[in-house]
Amino acid sequence: MNKILEVQNITKHYGGGSVVTKALDGISFELEKGEFVAVMGASGSGKSTLLNVIATIDRASSGDVKIDGQNVCDMREDALSAFRRDKLGFIFQDYNLLDTLTIEENIVLPLNLQKKSVEHTERELKRVAAALGVGDQLKKFPHELSGGQRQRAACARAIITSPSLVLADEPTGALDSKNSKLLMKTFELMNEALGSTILTVTHDAVVGSYARRILFLKDGKIWSELVRGNRERRDFYSEILSVVSALGGDTDAV
Amino acid sequence: MLSKLAVRNVRRQIGNYVIYFITVSLTVALMFAVNSAIFEKHLMAKADTIGELRMGLIAITVLVSLIVSFVLGYATSFMLKLRKREFGTYLTLGMTRKNIVCIFLLETLILCAISLAAGIVLGLVFYQGIMAVITNVMDVEFAFGAYSLKGLLLTVALVLGVFALSSVTSALFLRRVSIYNLLHGAKKQERNVRHPAVWLAVTVVSLAAIITACILFSHSLKTIFKNEAGSSGLIFMSLLILAAGIIFFHTGLAKSVVNLLVKNKRFKNRGTNAFTLRSLSSKLSSNAVMAGALSFLIAFAIIGANVSFTQQIATEEMIKSNFPFDVYAVIDKTSNSPVSADKAEEIISKYAKIEKRYDFDFYTSQNSYLHSFTKWSGSGYESLYDTFISESDFNRVYGALGFAPIELNGGFKIIPESNFIKSFDFSNAVIDANGTSLAFKGFADVSPLAPCYFQAVVPDGAILNMVPESDCVIFDLKDGKFDAMAMREELSYQKTSTFGDYTFMRCDFQIKEYGRLVYGAGNAVFVVSALYIAVVFVFMAMAILALKTLSGVSEDKLRYDTLFKLGASKREQSRTLLKQTFAFFFLPFALPVLLSIPAGLICTQIVNLSGLISATSRPIATAGLIALVMSALYVLYFTATYLLTKRTVIKA
Repeated sequence: MNKILEVQNITKHYGGGSVVTKALDGISFELEKGEFVAVMGASGSGKSTLLNVIATIDRASSGDVKIDGQNVCDMREDALSAFRRDKLGFIFQDYNLLDTLTIEENIVLPLNLQKKSVEHTERELKRVAAALGVGDQLKKFPHELSGGQRQRAACARAIITSPSLVLADEPTGALDSKNSKLLMKTFELMNEALGSTILTVTHDAVVGSYARRILFLKDGKIWSELVRGNRERRDFYSEILSVVSALGGDTDAV
Repeated sequence: MLSKLAVRNVRRQIGNYVIYFITVSLTVALMFAVNSAIFEKHLMAKADTIGELRMGLIAITVLVSLIVSFVLGYATSFMLKLRKREFGTYLTLGMTRKNIVCIFLLETLILCAISLAAGIVLGLVFYQGIMAVITNVMDVEFAFGAYSLKGLLLTVALVLGVFALSSVTSALFLRRVSIYNLLHGAKKQERNVRHPAVWLAVTVVSLAAIITACILFSHSLKTIFKNEAGSSGLIFMSLLILAAGIIFFHTGLAKSVVNLLVKNKRFKNRGTNAFTLRSLSSKLSSNAVMAGALSFLIAFAIIGANVSFTQQIATEEMIKSNFPFDVYAVIDKTSNSPVSADKAEEIISKYAKIEKRYDFDFYTSQNSYLHSFTKWSGSGYESLYDTFISESDFNRVYGALGFAPIELNGGFKIIPESNFIKSFDFSNAVIDANGTSLAFKGFADVSPLAPCYFQAVVPDGAILNMVPESDCVIFDLKDGKFDAMAMREELSYQKTSTFGDYTFMRCDFQIKEYGRLVYGAGNAVFVVSALYIAVVFVFMAMAILALKTLSGVSEDKLRYDTLFKLGASKREQSRTLLKQTFAFFFLPFALPVLLSIPAGLICTQIVNLSGLISATSRPIATAGLIALVMSALYVLYFTATYLLTKRTVIKA
């Protein structure tokens, strides 16, 4: 299998002098093409910092992050923008849909930034809108949709450019349990039917249970790793809970 | 405690308030400068209607203050809404409404005090600048203006009034708004503008109305100069159409163009166009009426400045044409004036050296034959006799003015007072001069010497049987300044009215230097007032646009942050922000600047109709200059706003 993501001995510290906070402390792991991996951990464990570094939104203090074989830590600002535009898809906790744009305009924005033709844009829009079931909401503005519908639109935007890697930061954080489940079904669909490689950060064990592999972070280090294998999701969920319990964190109910 | 909080808030908000502060300080500086000029003794002594002028200027400065209060009140209210959550938090912490109104008013007072101090310091310099403009317009030597306590006190009172008035609506809002609305105030929801094509039609109709208003105004000017009835009504109607046209044009434009562009998929799907168009659509739709109102303010400022400069041009030309000689008199033979030409020579010699003296006479045929070819004939005009001057006298006097000698070719010529006279048809006029018929041979150039609407130049022999009507004398003086006021006083004499019921001071002598002083002072006041209003209006308009833009930076920051995450480069983001800010700034400014063209043309028409042919090219040049200066001011504000916004919005 192809390696989509290689994280090598990443560190990230804030501050200086005698007051240095280590957010990431020598993290290394890899992601294969088509994988769906979750990163879990308690608040302050460094999971969001890790995601930001991989997303090229933040810079690592040391170490390398290779996506599709390209080391993003060596890239200049302009190259990073183009890289984010072409290789990465984002899903945020608070959707980050632009309130002034319609759902259709939000979804096709990454293609516009890539300067794709109108024909190509419309073809891709039809494909993702049909796959994620947002076809009926395209002409609406974000505020006219429910939280779940908004997050599905955000998913459509994240995958419309067929990125190498989709990054999700607490994607169910603003959703109720019903919409959370629907969203995770969407993630499964994106991963299995559309072939997206997904890395999501979450503190929710239920969300984690949809992933094929989970990395547990504690104090900026990978503390443990769980692979779902052929197990049922419910069994995987129970195992996640025991790890979380051993980790000393809290979890939400199923 | 409250004052400490207010001081800290002002310090914390300094970034948001910087444009507000600069604008208010500049306005206070202008206010102080004009108020100081109002109380400048030497300047006002030169204007013969000193009382009216002073009252007029005070009225203008109070009116400007009222408008500034309204605009600042609007600016304060939307800046306050940015801080709703902060005030809501104060209330949840147990502060009373009285407390938060106190904090808000204290903050306003601190800003007021700083702006007042900065404005007055700046005003000390502005005042001398205004004095330079005034002395230049009056064509007298520059003199430093003396600072007066009255000017200072008037400024302080007006500024305090402005801040008090502008704070009222915001204070009332804080007293009434619920805590829930402060903390969770409804965010404006985006909606597609309905029927953009209809709004486009409104834009086109409004543009047609603006053009119609300009044509109507131009037409009504002609009727005014022809003294036709109903012209003032037409002027008023054209101004009303212009104002409505400007406001509806912007409302329509804001709700149509961007929304129609959004429908063009090929254009919209290019780069960040959709993002820019939607941001603009949202901003323009919600601020459509405001854009119209601001545009009206700027248009008013530009038109006002044009009119004031035309007045200045007209006055200069009028002085040139009405006072072609240093001293000129037409002394009615029947008036028994105690100041004869010889007596006048004695008096004038005391003030200035006489270089040349010309004497000549006007004659009358004691009938109104030539007037019958004009509209000034018939009932009510019976005593309006035709006036004549001999060919040799005319050539002598015109020669002194630098004109080539006139040739009558056995006929007579009409000397018009203004170009308007040329619209009457004299082609069939024939004068009987001692049995010789003199046919009309055309018009001479417009003459400043014509004592009435027109006069005729006839061969020397033709005046032999006419009655001398008035003695005329011209004095050419050696260059240099002299006390024209005193000279005029000495040349004046007391006269009893025709009905004998009152007496008045009369002066038969037109003194160029006196005219320059009197007309110049009034004119300077007019020019400075118009420029003052224009600059303040433009400041206000620009400040509103800048503050509106800056008040949206927190929302823009979130939007541009998403763009950044989606892979828009810093350059792309900056370009998008530049387009967005520029379009928002440009929209209310474009039309008023374009209105400079009809304003220039109309001012040229005024100059033409006034018979000031030599100055016809000046209004267009002035209009161009005004548009350029306004644009420069605008670019400055735009650049400052863009850079301030960019610093906050675009991720480094």
